[in-house]
Amino acid sequence: MLRPLHIALLEVKRYVVSIQELAFSVALPIVLFALMYGAFGGEESFHATAHVVDLDQGSHSRALINQLDTLDEITVRERTLEDADQALERSAILTAVVIPAGFSDGLEAGEPIAITFKKRGNGGDAGQIVEAIVRSAAQQMAGEAQVRAAVGSVLSGTDITRVTIDSVVSRRLSESRQSPSISVETKWLGGEESSPTDRLVPGLLVMFLMFAVTMNAQTLVEERQNGTLERLMTTRLGVNQLFAGKFMAGVLRAVVQALVLLALAFAVLRIGDIADFMELTVFSALVAMAVSAIGLVIGSVARTRDQAIWAAVFITMFMTVFGGTFFDLTGAGPLDLLSRFTLTRYAIDSMFGMLASGQTLAGQGIGIAVHVGVAAIALLVARTMFKVAGGGR
Amino acid sequence: MNGSDDFLTAQHLRKQFDGITAVEDVSFTIRRQEIFGLLGPNGAGKTTTIRMLSTVLSPDDGEVTIGGSSVTREGDKVRQVIGVCPQELALYPELSATDNLVFFGRMAGLSGRDAKEAASDNLERVGLLDRARDKVDNFSGGMKRRVNLAIALMSRPQLLFLDEPTVGIDPQSRNHIFETVEALRDGGMTVLYTTHYMEEADRLCDRLAIMDHGEIVVMGTPHELKSEIGDPADVTLETVFLELTGRSLRD
Repeated sequence: MLRPLHIALLEVKRYVVSIQELAFSVALPIVLFALMYGAFGGEESFHATAHVVDLDQGSHSRALINQLDTLDEITVRERTLEDADQALERSAILTAVVIPAGFSDGLEAGEPIAITFKKRGNGGDAGQIVEAIVRSAAQQMAGEAQVRAAVGSVLSGTDITRVTIDSVVSRRLSESRQSPSISVETKWLGGEESSPTDRLVPGLLVMFLMFAVTMNAQTLVEERQNGTLERLMTTRLGVNQLFAGKFMAGVLRAVVQALVLLALAFAVLRIGDIADFMELTVFSALVAMAVSAIGLVIGSVARTRDQAIWAAVFITMFMTVFGGTFFDLTGAGPLDLLSRFTLTRYAIDSMFGMLASGQTLAGQGIGIAVHVGVAAIALLVARTMFKVAGGGR
Repeated sequence: MNGSDDFLTAQHLRKQFDGITAVEDVSFTIRRQEIFGLLGPNGAGKTTTIRMLSTVLSPDDGEVTIGGSSVTREGDKVRQVIGVCPQELALYPELSATDNLVFFGRMAGLSGRDAKEAASDNLERVGLLDRARDKVDNFSGGMKRRVNLAIALMSRPQLLFLDEPTVGIDPQSRNHIFETVEALRDGGMTVLYTTHYMEEADRLCDRLAIMDHGEIVVMGTPHELKSEIGDPADVTLETVFLELTGRSLRD
């Protein structure tokens, strides 16, 4: 019963025994990840730091800073005026926002007040965007303050208390913020909102998992060519045990590479939590099962190492190119149809769903069924086609 | 020929590949504790015969029993009593000698501890215990041949198939293999030995068969075969071989 495990462990041992090969196989995903992240990762949503000097230290200046800090696009870093000036002087920052003393009192009184943007040159691209965002937030705050002041002024002298006026105005303003009269709707071409990394990570992951096709296709052929396969078949090892061992080894190798990539992606891109990591690892193992089984089909049919490699490369390339590895092919006509005949399509759709759309592993019924089904059928086909030697068992 | 001493009995074996006959009506027996030589030029059918005897190939016709079990119907039982040292170096060069032996020991059904003990014993037997932890890839051709033989012994076989175990090695390694095989026979093992080297067969084999074109053309002790063409003291086995198989080149 343990023989398949020994076969798998032997494969792993052969895999790790060469430090150079091991380093290469681990380094390759990292290098490719860095390259792809450099190419696509730079297109992330805008994010910048707003360097804010709060000379007011009042309730409204604090409210403005807190409001800015809640925005996804901005991280607020508070500085002293001296510190900001020095940073601007040495170009460490290109824009600083200065909230003047008396800001809160002025707003309360409904008086005009000014926020200062100190810039080095034109303030830099990010600085200009930060300026626009701060300007917008400050103007909204000023508008609301003016409304409060105007309502208070109109109702002064009536029986309505100041506390009631403030409470009612605050509630109305809050409602207005929740349901603005002019709302902005964003529509993303090609479907749901997503970051480029949401597709980059599954794409890279699946591409590496696909390499298991080549690895597994070679292992049977190599053993046949160097005579160890025939020798193994003269021991008490059964053919089914051999297949189980090779299959396990292929899955194990692919999952190790997937784990390296996933750990990297989660650490660098912070694309999810530990539960996402676990779910993606489990799904990667399912993909590894399917591709390892396909590799065994090729290994069972191919008679030379070259035949196995070329067949595996063709299948890997076909699935990578036509499966929409890095670009969504939904609605792309014939390409969309073609992609449905690749494992890649189902693997990436499921992983993308888990990463970008908040779906869970349990919700990937089609993806799971496709990969488990392909693994089972491919194993059956591989076992049927396999011969230790021509004319043999 | 079907005496109680016979450990292997092959009767009317036949094998074709794509219409080409590789083995035709081959019958012979190997007695217990005997070194039986199977000689023949390239393409004579020796390796195909060994592959059928060792359960790798199924004969198209004929029957083989080893230790009383049918090779075709009771392959699992047969595989428990045989060890095979193939012509090629069927090992994992990136692993150490011990790792290779232990792995094949586990495949033969040994427990982890037994496999390690057997690996040590067999490496000592082939004179490689001091290189047990070295990668096989760094071994000389002769050392690899000896590891190849040691692996075949891991299953503690009753019948050992040695398919040209001394190809391409120096006289020292060859002599070491001869001594090992003789010691195994003396320890009770039955051996089927194929070789191209006639002096090897003359020295080692108790009986031998010469194959050509898939058939056995003659069988007997070296002395009997030499007697067929002259005075055994003057005739070499090589002369017998050339006389029977001709002098034309074979591929």
